Amino acid sequence: MKITVKCFSQVKYALETDELSLELNPGQTTADVEERVRQRAGKKLDGVLLRTAVNRIYVKEPRDLEDGDEVAFIPPVQGG
Amino acid sequence: MKMGMKWPLFHQSRADKVVLTEIVPAPIVPFPSDNTRREEGAELVFNGRVRGTEQGQDILALEYEHYEGMAEQELQSLADETMAKFLIQDLFCRHRVGRITIGEASLHVAIWSQHRKEGLQAMTYFIRELKERVPIWKWAILVSGERVPSECVHRD
Repeated sequence: MKITVKCFSQVKYALETDELSLELNPGQTTADVEERVRQRAGKKLDGVLLRTAVNRIYVKEPRDLEDGDEVAFIPPVQGG
Repeated sequence: MKMGMKWPLFHQSRADKVVLTEIVPAPIVPFPSDNTRREEGAELVFNGRVRGTEQGQDILALEYEHYEGMAEQELQSLADETMAKFLIQDLFCRHRVGRITIGEASLHVAIWSQHRKEGLQAMTYFIRELKERVPIWKWAILVSGERVPSECVHRD
């Protein structure tokens, strides 16, 4: 199955892209995707706390993903 | 209330409360002060403006990035929650995104309440939570022209 990862702020800077398309195996979770994102970033995201959103809603615990899901790892926000 | 609607003036007390949130890509048009209200004794206005430094470094501007779709949703949901939590009549918020030069407003919030205390508490809560959960980020445009994610985070 295929999912999209939206990248913002420090994640975008670290990965040098605003979007990734990833192939996942059934049963893989948001935690697996975060690990892949962090690996891809090398050490650039070390120490950066990332919150997870699936289909534009924050999720607190790792959860299974479905084909077509949109995932984002949200660095500390800075509005205002 | 939908975006782009004509600004209402309230000539009499209303049972219905109004919440408006917008994320706009252009300079913020402030909400007009309202001299026609009969029940709200407090009209609070907050403008957040871009400073000339980020973490001690001189900058040319800030560029605000948002997660389109989610940022609007979170901002509206926070405004609704603030209305439910505090005894206020109306809450309006405009947040600007894109490149904003020093001194310009990035955030504009107006709250009307019967009394000052509830309005001030609601304003503090709304802005604090906005900085905690609405997916908007700042990129600093340095004097060298380089564009880097700001590491500046304020909670209070």
